[in-house]
Amino acid sequence: MIRHLFKLIWNKKQTHALLIIEIWASFLVLFGLATLIFYNVRNYIQPLGFEYENVWAMSLNNNQDTIAIQEKVETIFAHVKGFPEVQSVSRMSDSYPFSQSNNSRTVKYNNVATQIGVVVADENLSKTIDIPLIKGKWYRNADSIGKYIPVVINRKAEALLFENQSAVGKILSDYDGKATWIVSGVIDHYKDKAEFMENKPFLFELLKSKDIWNKTLVIHVKPGTDAIFEAKLVKGISSIAKGWSTDIVYLTDARQKQHDMTLIPVLIFLIVCSFLLINVALGLFGILNLSIARRRGEIGLRRAMGATEKMVTAQFLGEIWVLSTFSVILGLILAVQFPLLNVFDVAAGIYGIAIVTATLIIFVIVTLCAWYPSSQASRIHPAIALHED
Amino acid sequence: MIKLQNVEKIYRTSSIETLALNNINLNVKKGEFVSIMGPSGCGKSTLLNIIGLLDAPSKGIIELDGQKVETYHDKAIAPLRNKMLGFIFQSFHLINDLSVIDNVEIPLLYRSTTARQRRELAEEALEKVGLSNRMKHFPKQLSGGQKQRVAIARAIVGKPEIILADEPTGNLDSAMGNEIINILQSLNENGATIVMVTHDDAMAKRTHRLIRLFDGTQVL
Repeated sequence: MIRHLFKLIWNKKQTHALLIIEIWASFLVLFGLATLIFYNVRNYIQPLGFEYENVWAMSLNNNQDTIAIQEKVETIFAHVKGFPEVQSVSRMSDSYPFSQSNNSRTVKYNNVATQIGVVVADENLSKTIDIPLIKGKWYRNADSIGKYIPVVINRKAEALLFENQSAVGKILSDYDGKATWIVSGVIDHYKDKAEFMENKPFLFELLKSKDIWNKTLVIHVKPGTDAIFEAKLVKGISSIAKGWSTDIVYLTDARQKQHDMTLIPVLIFLIVCSFLLINVALGLFGILNLSIARRRGEIGLRRAMGATEKMVTAQFLGEIWVLSTFSVILGLILAVQFPLLNVFDVAAGIYGIAIVTATLIIFVIVTLCAWYPSSQASRIHPAIALHED
Repeated sequence: MIKLQNVEKIYRTSSIETLALNNINLNVKKGEFVSIMGPSGCGKSTLLNIIGLLDAPSKGIIELDGQKVETYHDKAIAPLRNKMLGFIFQSFHLINDLSVIDNVEIPLLYRSTTARQRRELAEEALEKVGLSNRMKHFPKQLSGGQKQRVAIARAIVGKPEIILADEPTGNLDSAMGNEIINILQSLNENGATIVMVTHDDAMAKRTHRLIRLFDGTQVL
């Protein structure tokens, strides 16, 4: 029977060409959507790697003031730390957690080079946002006296640069091959662009003691600390550094913004795809209804030749499955190029799951669309169908 | 072979009741070639449909090869249609998207046969109707007579004991019609029981027995 169905479809391939293209296009759209969803879900279930509740990021802007910047930042730091509402404070670059800012460099170890996200921060960051270490230790400000700049890297960076070796104590070079950093510790995850971010290689570099450029304070406040304290904090800072401005961001809000930036395009794509699939489903339903109406004589004939109602239903479902199989095979030829050519640097497994999901959804949609017209077709009385044809 | 007792068929709509067949009693013996004649609308095709289990009678008993048809449930009658009956229609009812041999194989798709067996049986049937050289052709490439011969091959491919032909020469000229009757006669000589509806006296005369219907009643 399967061979019979393939023959029937193959002999009508010109009639079915548009239907095949429609299912093929739907498969590709579904594949894209499924890849996007699975990619984000896989990222989401991986740990964030740090705490963000009750953490504020305060950016200090010296504006036109160019005098004694370092001293003023240190005074502000001490001022902030002195408040009883503050549990911990850390100074870092403007690429604080969930910020829109990025900084990356090429880092080398032996002949292996990788592009790595970089955060410059003092010794307090791990305590302030609670980043657990899995190897070695977090650097201390006192470590800056060494020949190399102490850094902490994440497990992903360790795996890329050192494969199975431990990174602790190893020297990393910059793009030009100049030995620059020494690894003092390894953390597990650090997804600074929130949960939907892919776990990428990361490096924390010790803030230099004379640094005047990195002036963001990350403040871990006690639970329940509110805007009244925020106003007090800002007022105190403006009295220390006249003409400076501050910008305070709650990390919970910044995280929500990052989520929105990821989820809104996915949601829009999902809505567009849903409309597209509804259109495809309605189109399929209409085409199948029309096709079956035109084939009443054939249905009558098959019933007269001994086909049961179930066999007729199965035949029409089988035909649409054969058509879908043709379309999915054509779609697969294109879809497998993504993992093979590593088009978007997404894991091959994600593409694999997306292909399986898109295929299943296509077959569910075509089955649902074909079920009603097929079962209606099977109920056509053979004598009437043969007489009408 | 075919036994009808007090068969009645009434078509009902919400407002009208039409008596299509009235108290039909018929006994067709094994190996008999019977023709049914009568004016248009007298119930010939209805009678053939009832014999062929394509339609259920409103009343009466039907026996095929000594087997009483107790139920008209789809599952029960589909195998009977498939194994015991072969149908030939005036308008051939060939599937244009399938080749001649694939059309002939259709009845065998609904029983447990291998692809190879189907192919062999279909080739054998096409040989019997003289169309071995047209197996790969499509219905649109055939003449009316050839199409009807394909339909005959399809009717006999499953080796049914009864062949029901509904005006098999109705769409053909007299030469082609004669050719078809010759084939039917030869099948009958080889043991097939044939019931044929026809409008053509000359064709009817070539059968063993004639049954005449008028307004749903058997008059001869």
